[in-house]
Amino acid sequence: MAELQLDHITKTFHDDDEGEIVAVDDVSIDIADGEFLILVGPSGCGKSTTLRMVAGLESITEGEIRLGEAVINDKRPQERDTAMVFQSYALYPHMTVRENMSFGLEESTDLSDEAIDARVTESTRMMGIEDLLDRKPAELSGGQQQRVALGRAIVREPEAFLMDEPLANLDAKLRSQMRTELQRIQEDLGVTTIYVTHDQTEAMTMGDRIAILNDGILQQVGTPLECYHEPENLFVAGFIGEPSMNFFEMRLEGDRLVDDGFEYALTEAHRESIGTTDRVVLGIRPEDIEVGVDGSGSHHYEVGIDVIEPRGDENNVHVTFEPAAADPETFVATIGGMRQATPGETITVGFPPEAIHLFDAATERTLHNRSLETIEDVEVVTQQ
Amino acid sequence: MSTFSALTDNRPDWSRIALYATLLAMIAFYLSPLESGLMTSIKTQAGFQQTSPFVPPLPGQFAIEPWIEAFGRLQSGLVNSVLFAIPATILSATIGSITAYGLTNTKWRGQALVLMVLIAGIFIPYQSVLVPLSRFWTIVDLGSLLAVIPPLADRSELIALTITHTAYGIPICTLLFRAHYKSIDSSMIEAARLDGATIATIYYRIILPLSIPMFAVALIYQFTNIWNDLLFAIVLISDNSNDVVTMSLQKLTGSMVSQYNIQMAGAFITALPTLLVYIVFGEQFAEGVAGGGT
Repeated sequence: MAELQLDHITKTFHDDDEGEIVAVDDVSIDIADGEFLILVGPSGCGKSTTLRMVAGLESITEGEIRLGEAVINDKRPQERDTAMVFQSYALYPHMTVRENMSFGLEESTDLSDEAIDARVTESTRMMGIEDLLDRKPAELSGGQQQRVALGRAIVREPEAFLMDEPLANLDAKLRSQMRTELQRIQEDLGVTTIYVTHDQTEAMTMGDRIAILNDGILQQVGTPLECYHEPENLFVAGFIGEPSMNFFEMRLEGDRLVDDGFEYALTEAHRESIGTTDRVVLGIRPEDIEVGVDGSGSHHYEVGIDVIEPRGDENNVHVTFEPAAADPETFVATIGGMRQATPGETITVGFPPEAIHLFDAATERTLHNRSLETIEDVEVVTQQ
Repeated sequence: MSTFSALTDNRPDWSRIALYATLLAMIAFYLSPLESGLMTSIKTQAGFQQTSPFVPPLPGQFAIEPWIEAFGRLQSGLVNSVLFAIPATILSATIGSITAYGLTNTKWRGQALVLMVLIAGIFIPYQSVLVPLSRFWTIVDLGSLLAVIPPLADRSELIALTITHTAYGIPICTLLFRAHYKSIDSSMIEAARLDGATIATIYYRIILPLSIPMFAVALIYQFTNIWNDLLFAIVLISDNSNDVVTMSLQKLTGSMVSQYNIQMAGAFITALPTLLVYIVFGEQFAEGVAGGGT
């Protein structure tokens, strides 16, 4: 078990048609010993390439990767002592579960057959697949194959686990079950883990920290709640959270933000953080919008309800400042599942000043994040 | 649905009758040469002359002698053919498989060029290489090279034939295996690399076991081709003791009288091994052609 450091990692691909493509651009992440790091981002953001560079399946164009104290750039994959779990499971179809799991130990260690057998048995018990030892992958369900794939990684007792969307092929119920199980196993084993996903639920719930990539560039590394409440830029704010944060691009006029639809009066703190920026993006999370309140203050607006998406526990209400328009621009507010609302109605919504985020529209950097004072108590409750 | 209507409707279904009639006619059409051959091979010479070829032998005209005679005259040809066809088949399939592995699951410069050359190799007709081939084997005098090992030196022409067929079979085998290997999940190979396996181990422990259906296809295809070849054999073999079975069969025609019963029996004996290969590898062959592989 060891610390894993990505030190200014860059990966460039050469394409005959398009010339050089930078897949991963100067990414640096320090992953502590035993840490569970989630690498998340949209498709094609370079997260899988980063993982494959750590595994040794892709060469590193620039930068250094260190596992423990040693630089592993020039080590071949088989010498790196990492174990990878693939989205497709990548089980050997002609081998039984036992053979699949012992293959790595046979190839990479000098262990005796008895020792290998003991370790395989122990890992299968841990994964709850001890009954399947003599079956072949084709005779297993997707969930069972997934367990074998994880077991195959665990049995190696590697310095680091590398997981490439391992739960993506499972159905929703099994996925959430495996999510918890994976977390538990990683915690028990204490093996440094990089987990690649595009699913921001997995990102929020599973890891110690999240690293968010976009276009090959590292956007932010932080705990899930840091990334959620204190995003460093517009991309992170929009990517983390479901439904996503609402954004309004506005002009600064005195101590107000002005847009075609509405105006927003800024507090002293907001005004200070904005400085001389004149185009500002105002962001607010759907759950922070107060819906149907009696308010006539400078942060309350009359809006029309466009669409309602009931989700049981809560409802997503799509509302708009311009209810008369044929194709109105909407934003989302969430209300409790038991509250009624009807499309076409007009209601009052409030944007509490302590809950808003402000971003520079040109650079997309964060100017101001929401205040966490009001959320401290709630945090303990919502954290799972 | 159709069974229901067949049960309740007593009128004859003319389209169905026409279909079966056509199928039966086609079966008769395709099987008649085989049937005629078989019947001819079990008739006496007189029986052959007095009856139509596809009529079974009349009493007194039945004979097993043509088969015994043909087998006797083909015996050494059969042995020689087995001696060169089996090694050539196995070698071309194995080398083709390894080449295909090198062309699909590893990365190196010039792969495209090698593949192009191999594909071009498939389309070189036998006839166009006959002269260079015989020149080549004259220059590379295997007989004197192997003179220290007399049993091999005696069979040097067969060894030359083995090598020629192996070389000629590699391109098509490579292409067959390449198509199969391209369909193998590349993350499985990557998993094996991370598991500590070397390129050779990955081939031996993962690729090879997954290629068995494809080997059946390549073996059947190559064996049939090599066994049935006459052209290369005529060019490369001059010593009668090295005659392969197709050459011996050709010599059954005789010079004065055509003994069709012996020729037919000989043809069946010669074709038998290719039939056996189909039967032995049939199941894997079907799997390989169906493209399963896993």
